[in-house]
This record gives sequence, C-alpha cells and structure tokens, in this order.
Amino acid sequence: MAAGRLVTLCRGLAAALKVPETLKASLNPAARPGFTSSLLNKNIANITPLHQYKLIHTTLSRKGLEEFFDDPKNWGEETVKSGAAWTCEQLRCKSNEDLHKLWYVLLKERNMLLTLEQEAKRQRLPMPSPERLDKVSESMDALDKVIQERDDALRLLQTGQERPRPGAWRKDIFGRVIWYKYKQWPIPWYLNKRYNRKKFYVMPCVEQFVRLRLEKYLRGEAKRKNLQKKKQKMLQRKFPHMSAEAQN
Amino acid sequence: MRLSALLALAAKANLPHNYRYGMSRPGSMADKRRNPPWKRQRPVLVEPIPEDSWNVFCGDTVEILEGKDAGKQGKVVQIIRERNWVVLEGLNTHFRYIGRSKDYRGTMIPSEAPLLFRQVKLVDPTDRKPTEVEWRFTEEGERVRVSLRTGRIIPKPEFPRPDGIIPEQWIDGPKDTSVEDALERTYVPCLKTLGEEVMEAMGIVETRRHRKIYWY
Repeated sequence: MAAGRLVTLCRGLAAALKVPETLKASLNPAARPGFTSSLLNKNIANITPLHQYKLIHTTLSRKGLEEFFDDPKNWGEETVKSGAAWTCEQLRCKSNEDLHKLWYVLLKERNMLLTLEQEAKRQRLPMPSPERLDKVSESMDALDKVIQERDDALRLLQTGQERPRPGAWRKDIFGRVIWYKYKQWPIPWYLNKRYNRKKFYVMPCVEQFVRLRLEKYLRGEAKRKNLQKKKQKMLQRKFPHMSAEAQN
Repeated sequence: MRLSALLALAAKANLPHNYRYGMSRPGSMADKRRNPPWKRQRPVLVEPIPEDSWNVFCGDTVEILEGKDAGKQGKVVQIIRERNWVVLEGLNTHFRYIGRSKDYRGTMIPSEAPLLFRQVKLVDPTDRKPTEVEWRFTEEGERVRVSLRTGRIIPKPEFPRPDGIIPEQWIDGPKDTSVEDALERTYVPCLKTLGEEVMEAMGIVETRRHRKIYWY
C-alpha cells in the first residue's frame, strides 16, 4: 500500500515536474554481461532478457543495471549532444523536493558517464563528449551549494550558529591554535580514556619551538611583502603609464 | 561530500608556478612538449590590466599600430588573456612548414603571431579609423563601449561559441530540461530543512528515538 502510494505520488509529481530523462515504463530486458564493447563500437549485439528481477522501484524507471549505460542509440557515436549545466540561479528557484529528485537524476547520469569513461580508458579509445561529465559535476556542485546556503540560513535564523558542526579554538601540544572539530561520543568527556589522552595544552619544552615557528612565519611574511614590492617596482619600470591605472 | 571534493582536487591539473602561456592550449600535446614539468624559466612580465578595462573581444575589427603589418585592419580570432595577447586573422604572419614527413618537405602555411593588447586599437565602424574607447552605461543600464572621437557605441561582436552550438538553432535532447521547466519557480520558502520537507512529502515518519550523545 505504501509502495502504491509512492508510485502514484511520484507519477503525480513527475507530471508536474518534467524529469529530464525519458521514463520508459516498459520492462526493458537486463543486458548480457559481455556487451560492453558495443558501447564504443557501432556493432550492437542482440540483447535478450535472460533473468527475472525484482520490482523494487520508487520511480517510473524500470531499467535496472541498464541505467549505468547510455541510450543504445548513442552507442558508438563520436559525439553526443548535451545541454548546458544547471546554474545556481536556476537551482535557487526550485523547491526542496525538486532538488532532491534532481540530485538523484544527476547522480545516475554521473555514474553512467563515469562508467563510459572507464570503459573508454580500458579500450584505449577517446570518450565521446567528455564535457558532459564536467557539466553534470558542475550542476551537482551548484545544487549542493544551494542546499548548503538554505541550511545555513535556517540554522542562523533558528540557532545563530554559523557552522553546522560544533567545534572550538584550542591549542594543540605543538602550541598551534587549531579549530578542533567536536566528535560524537556515547560517554561524557571525564569518563573517556581516549579523549583524555589527547593533550590540548603546551609543555614548557615546546615554548622554544613556538618562538622558532613564529620567526619562520614572520620571515615568510616579510619575504612575500618584499617580493611584492620588487614586482611592483619592475612593473612600474616596464609599464610606467599603465601600471598606475591598474593599481588604483 | 569531502571525499568527492578531495578527488576533484586531485583530478584538477594544476599548472606550475611560473607557467609560461604560449599559443598552444595548456594540456595539449604541443604544450606538454614545449613546457615539460621540470622546465624552470624566468616569468614573463605581463601588464596587469583589470577586467573592467579590457576592450577587445573575439570578432572585433582592430587596427595594428606597430609591427610588420602596421596600419592594417583585421578581425580578432583568439585572445590569450594571461599574456594580454590578441591574434588577428591572417595578419602579422610568419611562415612555417606543416605535415613534414621523411621524404616530403611539407606544405608552407602562414601562421599568425600574437600582438599585445597595447599594439592594437579598436576601429570605429562609422569612419573605419582607430579610436580610443571607453566603457559607459546606456540609459537602460547596459555597459557598452563608446568611441571617444565620434561617440558611437561599438557593439559586442558575434563570434561562434567554441563548442560549435548556435543558441537559436538549438533543439533539446531527450535528457535536457526545456527552458520553461528550468526557469519555473517552485520554491516556497519555509522554515524546514530539505530533509524534513522531503520526509513529509514522502510520508516517512521518524519513529527512532534520539539517544543522548555527547559532543566534545
């Protein structure tokens, strides 16, 4: 009953939002294992259904392992046409459910392209249209960024916390001030043997090295500043009139 | 997420510190031959031109001010921003042999040498003479190039995209979302995280109880 409700829900939502991939409701046969060579060649072997498979799908797509491979029409092509990547602006207009579905669609496409890339490497042939993988990765990164923005906004509103994971500024045994990220433990800190073995304080013998490290850092900064000055001087000498404009 | 970011960092090929940009695309065989990873050269001094003052785009007609072909006008075909280079079609050429084999001397072809940004000037379309150009805003708020001598707006030229796609003739493929669907606004802001909203929409009810956990 829950599965039936999910199917009707997905059907309804799919009608409202046209999912990019073609959803073939027909029972497509599962592919034979030895057909991978035809992905990059035009000689396509005949695919016949060999075994039954269980119907545990929450979407209309019934393809199984075939989803790791492109549409058979594109097998053996040198280039495959693809549209532009999703931008952050376009994704910000979409609701959370749409983004959730889009993530999985993009994930399946990415898996398919990665399989294709690996197969091309194995057969030592160029991958057809590798820019598709870049576009999908970009879209997924943009989606993640948008969701992170939304989560950050909500968290700032509700709790005022800037970071999703709690932490603290602490001094480690080397005297460096680090952002220590908190971990999740089942027992409190005073009962935790492993946690108590960690030292967040500095022993007296380390102070000398702290001074040396500070000196190293200051020397590095001075060198960088000096280098910048020298570069600016060189640029002024070579491009006298223009460099002044650029600096302002 | 962090693992994929790590893999992405590893996959992204970083150019060495004082990499010298040439006419070849970084990463191509010609570039790998010219700039092997162990090559260390003094860096080339490149005038820092801010992004706002860059006037020249691919497809513009410009006139050469100095050099072999001084005074000639040509169309910009390639721009290499890292070295402030502008490559014009058929101008400022030297000759080289291509397709050389053991017995054949090869075919001689003219190959264009790049010109610096300061050695070319934009041409005013009205009188076809070189002019100084400034960036100004129109009444609609569009940022355009205006010739200082005549005051005419020089529009951004049409140039074919590197991937060969013509936007007007584009037809969506089976996996592409149509324009209306991509621009359709379905977001309704509410005080719920993505996880909570999706769980409500899918009818998932969290029945597990949260155990006391310590963060430190």
